[in-house]
Amino acid sequence: MAYYPQLVSLIILIPAIGAFINIFWGARLGEKWVGTVATVASALAFVIAVLLFVYLEGSGYEAVVINPPIFDGWIQIPAGEVVIPWQQRVDTLSSTMMLIITGIGTLIHVYSISYMHGDARFHRYFAYLNMFLAFMLVLVTANNFLMMFVGWEGVGLCSFLLIGFWFDKAHGVGWRNTMAANKAMLLNRIGDFGVVMSVLIMFWTFGTTDYFRPAEIVNVHLAEEAAHAAEAAHSEEGAVAAEGEAANKPGDVVLAQEGEGEGAAAEEAHGEEHSTPGVVYVNNDHIETDQLGVFGQAERFLDEGRVIDIGPVQLPFSTWLTIMTLFLVLGVTGKSAQIPLFTWLPDAMAGPTPASALIHAATMVTAGVYIMVRSNVLFYYAPVTSFVVAMIGALTALVAGFIAMGQWDIKRVLAYSTVSQLGFMVAAVGIGAYAAAIFHLVTHAFFKALLFLGSGSVIHAMEHGHHHAHSHGHGHDDEHHGDDHHDAHEEEFDPQDMRNMGGLRRKMPLTFITYLFGTLALAGIFPFAGFWSKDEILADSWVAGFDNNNLAGYIVFIILLMAAAFTAFYMWRQIVLVFFGKPRTEAAEHAPESSRLITIPLVILGFFSLGIGFMNTPSYVLGLDNIFGAHLFTDRLEYSVSKAHASEFNLLIALGATALAVAAMFLANNIYRRSAIIEARRDPLEMLPTTAPFWSLANARMYWDAFYSRVFARPFTRIAYFLSDVVDWRFLHDYFHDVVIWKGFNAAAQGLSKPVDLGVIDGAVNGVGRVFGWLSSQLRQIQTGYVRTYALSLLVGVVLVILVILLPLLQRG
Amino acid sequence: MLEITPNTIAFLVFALLSVGGALGVVVSTNLIHGALFLIVSLFGGAGLFVLLAAPFMAAVQILVYIGAIAILIIFAVMLTRSMTSLSEIFNRQWWISAIVAVVMLGLLLVGAILPVWGPSGTNAMLPVSDAVGTTVDLGIALVDGNQFVLPFEVASLLLTAAMIGAIVIARDNE
Amino acid sequence: MLQLPSLETLNMGAALPAISIAAWACILLLIDLWIPKDRKILTVYLAAGNLVFAFIANLLVFNQSGDSFMGMYVADQFSGVMNLIIIGTALLSIVLSFDYLKRVGIERGEYYVLVLFVTAGAMFMAAANDLILIFVALELLSIPLYVLSAFRAPDIRSEEAGMKYFLLGAFASAFLVFGGAMVYGATGTTNLNEIAASAGMIIASNSSTSLFLLLGAALLLVGLGFKVAAVPFHEWTPDVYEGAPTPVTAFMSVAAKLGGFGSLLRILVVGMSAVTMTAGEPAVWQNVVAILAGLTMIVGNIVALSQANIKRMLAYSSIANAGYILMAVAAAGSPGLANEATRGALVYMLAYMFTNMGAFAVVIAVERANGGADLEHFVGLGKARPMLAIMMVVFMMSLTGIPLTGGFIGKALVFATTLNAGLVWLAIIGVLTSVVSAYYYVRVIVNMFLRDAEASTEEATPGYSTGVQWVAAVALGGTVLLGVLPTLITVLTDRVSLVASITP
Repeated sequence: MAYYPQLVSLIILIPAIGAFINIFWGARLGEKWVGTVATVASALAFVIAVLLFVYLEGSGYEAVVINPPIFDGWIQIPAGEVVIPWQQRVDTLSSTMMLIITGIGTLIHVYSISYMHGDARFHRYFAYLNMFLAFMLVLVTANNFLMMFVGWEGVGLCSFLLIGFWFDKAHGVGWRNTMAANKAMLLNRIGDFGVVMSVLIMFWTFGTTDYFRPAEIVNVHLAEEAAHAAEAAHSEEGAVAAEGEAANKPGDVVLAQEGEGEGAAAEEAHGEEHSTPGVVYVNNDHIETDQLGVFGQAERFLDEGRVIDIGPVQLPFSTWLTIMTLFLVLGVTGKSAQIPLFTWLPDAMAGPTPASALIHAATMVTAGVYIMVRSNVLFYYAPVTSFVVAMIGALTALVAGFIAMGQWDIKRVLAYSTVSQLGFMVAAVGIGAYAAAIFHLVTHAFFKALLFLGSGSVIHAMEHGHHHAHSHGHGHDDEHHGDDHHDAHEEEFDPQDMRNMGGLRRKMPLTFITYLFGTLALAGIFPFAGFWSKDEILADSWVAGFDNNNLAGYIVFIILLMAAAFTAFYMWRQIVLVFFGKPRTEAAEHAPESSRLITIPLVILGFFSLGIGFMNTPSYVLGLDNIFGAHLFTDRLEYSVSKAHASEFNLLIALGATALAVAAMFLANNIYRRSAIIEARRDPLEMLPTTAPFWSLANARMYWDAFYSRVFARPFTRIAYFLSDVVDWRFLHDYFHDVVIWKGFNAAAQGLSKPVDLGVIDGAVNGVGRVFGWLSSQLRQIQTGYVRTYALSLLVGVVLVILVILLPLLQRG
Repeated sequence: MLEITPNTIAFLVFALLSVGGALGVVVSTNLIHGALFLIVSLFGGAGLFVLLAAPFMAAVQILVYIGAIAILIIFAVMLTRSMTSLSEIFNRQWWISAIVAVVMLGLLLVGAILPVWGPSGTNAMLPVSDAVGTTVDLGIALVDGNQFVLPFEVASLLLTAAMIGAIVIARDNE
Repeated sequence: MLQLPSLETLNMGAALPAISIAAWACILLLIDLWIPKDRKILTVYLAAGNLVFAFIANLLVFNQSGDSFMGMYVADQFSGVMNLIIIGTALLSIVLSFDYLKRVGIERGEYYVLVLFVTAGAMFMAAANDLILIFVALELLSIPLYVLSAFRAPDIRSEEAGMKYFLLGAFASAFLVFGGAMVYGATGTTNLNEIAASAGMIIASNSSTSLFLLLGAALLLVGLGFKVAAVPFHEWTPDVYEGAPTPVTAFMSVAAKLGGFGSLLRILVVGMSAVTMTAGEPAVWQNVVAILAGLTMIVGNIVALSQANIKRMLAYSSIANAGYILMAVAAAGSPGLANEATRGALVYMLAYMFTNMGAFAVVIAVERANGGADLEHFVGLGKARPMLAIMMVVFMMSLTGIPLTGGFIGKALVFATTLNAGLVWLAIIGVLTSVVSAYYYVRVIVNMFLRDAEASTEEATPGYSTGVQWVAAVALGGTVLLGVLPTLITVLTDRVSLVASITP
């Protein structure tokens, strides 16, 4: 049985191989094979994820730590006693993430085959996509922060590559794409600084970056419960049943591959202890503190009230905990696009739509939420950080939701919506609703991927329609599309602008229905997925605020309620603008329904957007818990997220939130059905004097980007210019480099070497070089080429060596 | 004063050989002569080893230098025929070597004489190997598994290699 | 009376790798006579087969440790790792040589025999536990190298190289012998273990005997310092490296160093680590070795800056690298650090072996028909032969010590042990000179990629052959593998302990 979870090493390897094949041979393989290779790699990874899921179900959700072969001593610095193993962790949290990543990933691969058809860099796109999968899986299966960081950076790279994928589009679009990619890269670097700092402090404090050591019990509470249950069963059923029971007891930790040579010797020692039959631990008290992982040690340190000194700074551990979590939060604001670093995500929509769906909506951007939930123990004990997190999340949800209402670009609306929904998740973490955060992460992954893919389908159709209409007028051959279909003389047509759409309901019925599903899920309408997860966050914040008297709870609850109303409003606005009314352009008139490779993933995702919420139905709701079970997802998650808890259904909140959403949708419906104004390419809200200032504020993205550009980017550019031109070029290069270093070194080196290069010396003997020149003319004698001078210098060396070695003896007298 | 014993005479002869040989290396302008003088000097050194009751060191010195190196040196010099007849002194810094040599000599003298007549005044007895002995003993030592058989074999390999080398260098290219 | 030793007491099995190479060299010499001139590739196969055999034999006896020839030859993990590296060097250089010799017209079977002799000599040096064997093995290493340097005989530069190397080598060997004699005089033995046993007492006794012991140590250091090209015993290096046939340069730049450091570590660590003024302090020779290391790094790296000939540049680079290894040797003088330092040096040497062989393979591939190999010849290589240029980039990065290459791992280990030994100033010199070295290594890269060939004088580069490509590829693999998965070698080196480890 122990060998079964070893599969997890393949889940990374297979997409990596897929990427490798496509990078090196993709150009020769042709589209068909490239798509097949990438999709099969992704599908295989999904199969493995399913197998691991089944394994966890069968083994009572016990976490397994795997040491993949070859990598086991990943980073070993014997001198510093640094051992960071390359270990993968299979537990309920990572398994959830794996299923989402590979499942949605596979659908998006299928979708992309059609979407990217005809692109000049087709193979490269799929290589990136596979590479992304591999890194993302590294991120979520890592058992330590450093390995997680490898994945973290890797997905950042893939994101960068995919945002700038069409860097060579005509009409300056390519330049915009490049800038978007750079922006994502730069803002994420700021966040990554936070992660690095956090991991360094962590390492300094704990001497390890492992989440949990293999022998450790994650959720002591559950383990004790299970042990009690087993005891009771034991006393009732006698010794015969106990054996079988013990094997499945959550307290009995399954050890990962003892013989494989774990990183730390100590683990082996403990492993031995564990494997003695009969001893079943229900907590970690028998493990010494320094043999625990980060989270276990943190709890011990807090109990002890330990004081940690890092360099000259000596602070109590709880302070360090706050500092390290705050740094981690900085990383989260970068990767998960939160205030203040969120501005890259809307721009990131410059990449191909399926990539946006996978990376910038469903998976990568949720990495920040994932890592916070993974570190729930740290956040649980850091109230200051948690408050900050809650505020950041709530504010982001509100601000992004507000901005989304004033956008015309179909993908940009979705992008701000993603930022807003990520804000929901982050806020959930901030108020301690870890299970709710992950639950919302899962449901959001499905319906946001669906919406993005749907928008991709629309954009694709618009391009086709535009092309169709255009080619009728000019008789063009319409083989190509994508990056090169704009002709220079042609007026710029934006296939993503919602003002150009309208009435697509009849043109693309399948896309419309699935898009509607996604919208309802996102707006949180019963019984769609978003209803359950959003409701859980709201209910949790209600509990945190009103029952536990946590200030953050009140604030989050109120802000999120507003954000939820915004969500319903902008989504319905989008539905109306895109699908209802009459076609506003020729392109929309001729938009065809997309091919089956595109619609099938949409249908599958639509199905999930409807149904996935039932996996975590609360108790006592319409008898649904009798069908689907209550809190299944949360209960399962608790095995790896020890501070997770199930929240109770609150009918009042559910009804209120739904009512608010429905009202917002009605409002949007009423406003945007008046298409005459939109025909004029204006927003109805823009026309009303009361709402106009708000609308233009939202349309201008609350001047957030402009603010950054004025306050940071421009002064930065100016300083950079000063540094590069004055300090680097004029001083360092012209003076310091050329005169001091170049001439100096050259002269010194020439002097010590054979006088063959005399000519160079002559050139170099100037300024400071003159001194070296003189020196060199003296020293030049040494490398004469004559054996006797060599022998002489050897002799001098002998004398020196003898003198130095005898020095202590002579000193002693 | 030195007593005139066979040992003393032998010492004087060997000392003369090694010092004279060394002088010859320095003074000679002909490369091949220099090389030959070097052999003489090394031979003198080997003799001194014998007198110091370190017969094996002597044997090694002779084996390696008079055996291997001599062969090689002659051939090596032969292949640089053009250099053998040069008599011009290229080196204008010869006086530096002279100074260094004198300093070296001084140091050696200090090192060698101080222990004997130094302030401690004790005529330090240097440990003398027990393996003092006859040629027979030397012969046995060279093939005895408990003693020097491995160095002996390696030395013979070395001679082989030197022979090959000499032939390779001297042989005309077909 | 003469007692014929039984094979059992000799325990020749432990020395099998070295012995098999030495013996096969003699046999191959005879076999070669019957191999026709146009089929000398057979000799290559026979020599390479022998090396492979020795490699495997060495792996088989790796975990056994024992003496051979009654304490003369020590087969332990140190010699085990050294042998692996030495045999690897020999294999790679034989593959490098074949096409070269054919092209230059000096294709003779003796070449491979001499290479085998050098290999055996280096292996004996690394395993020798007796001053006499060290000396004889050193000569077995050196003399064939003199000949190999002059192997391209009518070529005046090759002759000059051989001649210079020989004269200076003989000079240095004399010091070694002299040093050995002094140590023998002081301790009455040539066996390193026995020297170690009495050395501490001798120093403590404050008699003139200690003077002789230290003088002896100094002279031994000089003799071996010459072999490894440490400043100020380095001056033969550039001239000889430039003049010798390029595959020979490649071979000798690694093999001679391996042998030299093998013996140096054994003498200093096994024999002399107790030579301290007061117990618990670093050994007396630590200062000297540290100063030599510092000088070597400074001079080697700075002079390399101005070299226009790539072989001369690599010669100075090899001097500089000797400095880094010497740093580890110096660190080995601190009590309790001997084993760590030795391991660091071993890893460094392995990394250097791969990197240097690779770099020379590229040099051979770029070399012009007349044997010229200037930096200018690398201009535009990035376009003409991108794979080769990328390989060269990796080798240059490894020599600089950039992460993910073997050179980085070696340097990291060596610097770590130097710092542990408290030789902070030395480590600082090491780091600074590494920075300096980046300048000339990067210059090669710049020449390959960033400069365009001005005149398209497509000169022939006849050295670019399959064998050379193979060597470069293997060296690349080794360099990268070592950089990415250092565990592969540290698993072996971690078992090396020259002195019984003292448990703290």
